[in-house]
Amino acid sequence: MEKIQLLHTLPKVFESRNDVVSDIWNHDVAFEKNKIYLVEANSGTGKSSICSYIYGYRRDYLGDILFDGKNVRQLTIADWVEVRKQHIALLWQELRLFPELTAWENVQIKNKLTGYQKKKQIEEWFEMLGIADKQTALIGRMSFGQQQRVALIRTLCQPFDFVFVDEPISHLDDANSAIMGHILTTEAGKQGAGIITTSIGKHIDLQYDQIFKL
Amino acid sequence: MSLIWKLLRQHISIPQFAGFFLANLVGMVIIMLGVQFYNDTQAIYNGEDTFMKADYLIVNKKIGAMTTITGKSNAFTAADIDDFKSQPFVERLGAFTPCAFDVRASFDIEGFANISTDMFFEAVPDAFVDVATGAWNYQEGDTDIPIILPKNYLDLYNFGYAQSRGMPKLSEGIIGAMKMKIRIDGNGKQQLYDGRIAGFSSRLNTILVPESFMRWANAEFAPNAKEEPTRLIMEVNNPTDDHIAAYLQQNNYETDQDKLDASKTTFMLRVIIAIVMTVGLIISILSFYILMLSVYLLVQKNSTKLENLLVIGYSPARVSLPYQLLTVGLNVVVLLMAVVILFVVRSKYLETFRNFFPDMQTPPFWPSLLVGVCLLVLVSILNVVAVKSKVMKIWNRKD
Repeated sequence: MEKIQLLHTLPKVFESRNDVVSDIWNHDVAFEKNKIYLVEANSGTGKSSICSYIYGYRRDYLGDILFDGKNVRQLTIADWVEVRKQHIALLWQELRLFPELTAWENVQIKNKLTGYQKKKQIEEWFEMLGIADKQTALIGRMSFGQQQRVALIRTLCQPFDFVFVDEPISHLDDANSAIMGHILTTEAGKQGAGIITTSIGKHIDLQYDQIFKL
Repeated sequence: MSLIWKLLRQHISIPQFAGFFLANLVGMVIIMLGVQFYNDTQAIYNGEDTFMKADYLIVNKKIGAMTTITGKSNAFTAADIDDFKSQPFVERLGAFTPCAFDVRASFDIEGFANISTDMFFEAVPDAFVDVATGAWNYQEGDTDIPIILPKNYLDLYNFGYAQSRGMPKLSEGIIGAMKMKIRIDGNGKQQLYDGRIAGFSSRLNTILVPESFMRWANAEFAPNAKEEPTRLIMEVNNPTDDHIAAYLQQNNYETDQDKLDASKTTFMLRVIIAIVMTVGLIISILSFYILMLSVYLLVQKNSTKLENLLVIGYSPARVSLPYQLLTVGLNVVVLLMAVVILFVVRSKYLETFRNFFPDMQTPPFWPSLLVGVCLLVLVSILNVVAVKSKVMKIWNRKD
């Protein structure tokens, strides 16, 4: 996948509002590979909605979303499964980890599906993010900041053309944010992938190619 | 252990599944037992009369004193037969063809006796005789004739004649292997034949030969005789139908009442088994309902986990698989246990049957097995589809 386009996209709930001022909603926007984007927004402006729409999780929008010119409304279930396994990685704002499993198992449940990352690489990331000692701890017992780091590792356990990270550092200190930014750009760089991060203020310090105000 | 299973087995309720398991087991055993029991009892009825089905009735006109005195015919006219055929309770109707020639038969039991007797033959349409077609056939020029004898004759010999004269008792098998010489006289001709005994009937009080032989022999030995049937054989759709008795009464016909009773017994047995199987089926349906409810509840309780698996790239089919395997696995275990229980119960009642009917052959086990497997497949397909549709609802975020 080379390009994601949003053509006059607008959440249905905003349909009746005529005061929507945004760089994305109701505009034609394109995300391309090898580029880094920041979507800045206030709460309630539909930041997570963009991720959900592009990821095929929600369909309550007007306008169109295209993958390489193909309208995503035409994608089948099998197509979406393929997109989520091979083309688009998403770090959810609410993480969507499994509290019953350990940190390591949470990463494995994704990596076993894709078989993409080597065990050594995953261990290295745990090390870099300072949670190596938490590998066997249950997610339910970890702080949100620690969980965010596990979720990032899980997000990277697949090949992707685009990676969306939805408020990835809301509970992280600057040092950890920088490490996360480093890991993210390295991994995306390896694959020539595009990075789209969202934030409601605090954002990872990266070389952004384009910044959208939502 | 697979991580997915580790996740999805959360909230599995053992009591609910145990409830389903027991209920389904009971339902399955009842249904399979019904099928098998029916099959096994059929074998008893068939074993009694290997060539004649139970639902045949034999009808004749009543012979009263007046019939004897006036010499009035007790034969059925063509009009009588047509009227009979038009009755709604009649499935099939056939006439007995009497022989119009003289028959003399002799048995030679070597070293013991030579029994010789005058006899008669009758024939019914071949469709009413359940003997392999090859064994129940006559072609012009054949020197042996297949014959079905009434079982009473054998009993008469064994318990009357042989008992009082110290003669050996004969089983059906031995008689069947023995040669019976038959001499036919008529129309100035005489012919010798070998009688081959094709079977014994406890339902028919006559000596049966194939209709093809009868037709040929009547034309050959008694060309001028009129063939007037005095007895009719009919297959009815429901022997307990009151209309049958009413019709017979009205026309002054009679039938062997206990045959009608035997038919009623089989019919009632069939009704009872049908009721029992229906109960089994209802229990099975209810147990299926319990299973579906617990699976739905399980899916509901684990819906967040299922959704999260879907959004990290697992396909709906892969996510449905553990619950599908769980339900199908349960169904398979239920079937296996039902088969074991059925096997034990059946060997008990077969033992009892054998005390009553020592000659009984053991009927095959597969009819109930087939029903069980069919139920398993049906229920499993429903389970698999239901789980998948639940997961698809989560995929489509509809609830």
